Amino acid sequence: MPKTTTSLRRQLILMVSMVLICINVLALWGAHIYANRATKVSYDRLLYGAALQMAENINILDSKVFIDLPVSAFETLALSNSDRAFYAIMSSQYQVLTGYNDLPSIPFTQLLLQSTEKEKFIPIYYEAPYHEENVRFVALGKRLLEADKVNDVFIIVGQTLGARQAAAAEINRMALHFVSLFFVITLLLLLFVIWRVLRPLQAIKQAITERSPLELSPLETNVPSEIAPLLKSINYFMAQLDTTLERLKRFTAEAAHQIRTPLAGLNSQAQNAIDETDEALRQKQLQHILESSNVLTNTVNQLLNRATLTHRYQSHPFSPVSLDQLTKDTCRELVVWALERGVEIEYVGDLQATIDGDEFALKQMLQNIIENAIKYSPNKGLVEVELMSANKLNAAAVVLQIRDQGVGVPDEDKEHIFEYFYRSPDNQASGSGIGLSIAKEVAEHHDARFHLKDNEPTGLIVEVIFPKRTLPKNRYPKPKGARL
Amino acid sequence: MRLMAMFACFLVWVFLTLSSLAFAEQDSTGKESTGKEITANEGRVLSINGAVNRAVIDPLFKAFEAQHPDVTIHYTESNTRDLYERFLSEPETRADIIMSPAMDLQFKLANDGFALAYQSPELERLPSDSYWRNELFGFTYEPIVTAINTDILAADDLPLSREQLLNLIRKKNHLLDEKIGLFDIKKSGIGYLAWTYDGQQSRSYGRLLEAFGNHQAQLYTDTSSMLQALLKGQVFVAYNLIGAYSYQWSEQYPWIKTIMPTDYTSVIMRTAFIYRDAKQPSLAKRFIDLLLSPLGQHILANQSGLTPISPKAVGPYSRDALSKLPHGIFRPIPLGLELLIQTDDAKKQLIYNEWDNAMGPLSELLSSP
Repeated sequence: MPKTTTSLRRQLILMVSMVLICINVLALWGAHIYANRATKVSYDRLLYGAALQMAENINILDSKVFIDLPVSAFETLALSNSDRAFYAIMSSQYQVLTGYNDLPSIPFTQLLLQSTEKEKFIPIYYEAPYHEENVRFVALGKRLLEADKVNDVFIIVGQTLGARQAAAAEINRMALHFVSLFFVITLLLLLFVIWRVLRPLQAIKQAITERSPLELSPLETNVPSEIAPLLKSINYFMAQLDTTLERLKRFTAEAAHQIRTPLAGLNSQAQNAIDETDEALRQKQLQHILESSNVLTNTVNQLLNRATLTHRYQSHPFSPVSLDQLTKDTCRELVVWALERGVEIEYVGDLQATIDGDEFALKQMLQNIIENAIKYSPNKGLVEVELMSANKLNAAAVVLQIRDQGVGVPDEDKEHIFEYFYRSPDNQASGSGIGLSIAKEVAEHHDARFHLKDNEPTGLIVEVIFPKRTLPKNRYPKPKGARL
Repeated sequence: MRLMAMFACFLVWVFLTLSSLAFAEQDSTGKESTGKEITANEGRVLSINGAVNRAVIDPLFKAFEAQHPDVTIHYTESNTRDLYERFLSEPETRADIIMSPAMDLQFKLANDGFALAYQSPELERLPSDSYWRNELFGFTYEPIVTAINTDILAADDLPLSREQLLNLIRKKNHLLDEKIGLFDIKKSGIGYLAWTYDGQQSRSYGRLLEAFGNHQAQLYTDTSSMLQALLKGQVFVAYNLIGAYSYQWSEQYPWIKTIMPTDYTSVIMRTAFIYRDAKQPSLAKRFIDLLLSPLGQHILANQSGLTPISPKAVGPYSRDALSKLPHGIFRPIPLGLELLIQTDDAKKQLIYNEWDNAMGPLSELLSSP
């Protein structure tokens, strides 16, 4: 099993934390803005309140402005007691009537504008440095009426920002506490949810771990629908594995049997030869021994070949192979052997084709198919090998056909012909019975389709359709129906 | 050589540690380190401007000089109003520390940024309303009292409240003409503060003013001259005195009775602040520390006769002792922005006008120097 480098859980936790942090930072930022606004508004109101109380107690008496500031105005200011406060009452001629006479940045123009144009004064807020501290001021006008004379006075009240900053800091601190708590709680909840969601995966792992290595029946673990495909593919894999194992068992048994039978034959023939006194008969018996031994050798070679191929499937990457050249070479090598059996091999077509594949394996495949065709060909028979392009078929690039004129294979046997050691019941020719299975395995390893067809008037066509040459393909077959 | 230096360092360390422990241990350890201290900081002077009598505050100065043997305290005493006005008009005479019972004037100076911010470690032991920001520190808690020469009473009861005082004045009528002593609110800061605070507190204020005016009250600029007049029989009633002096006087002269009015008793705090551009800011801070420390408060409660601000201080003049005497509801003048009203020029003019109307032009001429 390959080691996992990325943990789903870690990724989930990381993302969830990041989202949470973003949300919390946004919340804090919002709280900060709100805190500043809220304290600004409420402390501005206090300031305005103090100014209004002062304004209330400014009157005109005998054409003289009469100011009797109330204690309550200063008590209002004293609500933020750790702040300095400054005030001034001024006439519209910029004369300070009482209070501080050097307040900065008084918005006279605005106040005068209000006094000439508006019915009602509205407070003007501004900040200015005074006595080395930032001070928030409110400026307010009051209209004093006596007889037909109009007299405006301006009230300016200011206070340093300590209390509002402290209040804002307090709100911020509370927001921070709340957000931290919220963060911890949501994180814990989400961790629980992640654990809960990932639990089926753990369950699958657990179920697999708990199994004996030989048990390959499908997993029956209950999983959510999102994980079902994973389970399905695991089950598919296990079924595959089961089939393979089963096949291997059968193969081993068959192989043992296939080797033991000729060995037993050899044994008895050798025994007979020892006992035989007639020299001529003895020669004939020895001849038989040699033949049986050849068949046995052939079988063992095929088994070894297959073992080699199985090993190669797992260890050799594909490389470009000139299929036409390979086919021609194989035909050439077999032509003498065929002629000995009175069979002719004909290579048809001039297509040049290169596919990605394992040259050794492909050669084994070609050899097995052609040898098979030769074996089943009648005397004076012809084996045609043809390589053609199949443009009409979208998915196929190269089609390889090997046609013989033998008895062919009945349809009911076509399914079994690839099974190991299967031999048609009425088959007279000698053979190991695993050649075609190896060929088919090689073809499938190359993602090629392997077909059996009937030749006219008689015989078998073996057709291998190679897919279009694509760039690096997964060398391991994909399970069907699984999306990962 | 190195050993010697290390030993010297050790001695300084011992001195610093012990000096903060207790005053009693000060003398012995103090002497040991005196030589080194002097060579390092010869002739430092801490200047203090205050309104309190030198004799009263002296025990505290002595304690400070004992802690810092190289330091001499230069104390200038003046009337509260003068203190304030000189501070503003003569910047070159500004001392390192300004102490005054005229809370409003002190507050105005602090509000206007003349005070140095200093977070004294002693502050956390004191009531939170005894200081403003970390600039203005209240160190005493003194009732405003009425003193009466009992010779005037004859068979009558001692007037314990303002109402009873008014009745007494009505009853004695002409006997009290020119025999009532008051602070001249135009000349004494503490007088103005106490008087305006009365104005905020009591409905009897108007009647008091009228009664004082009708009997041509004598005006004084400081407590001791008023008490002198009381002793000599120049006045029989002295209104709105600072309790500390009056109680001492009563102890000496039993026929002078000190009364904390039972309707309400105003309480003022003497406050101190460090001048922003003090020449000896670190010494000034040490002095404030001493002033507010249990030791300083103890000295006030036992040797100065000033009631210390700390409720924990024990002694004949402690807050605890004070509250055992007959008194009204204590109404401490808040040390805060409310005091700005007392410094408002328009308000002051109104009160002066009221005062002048009541006292009449005659009062100006008759007021004692």
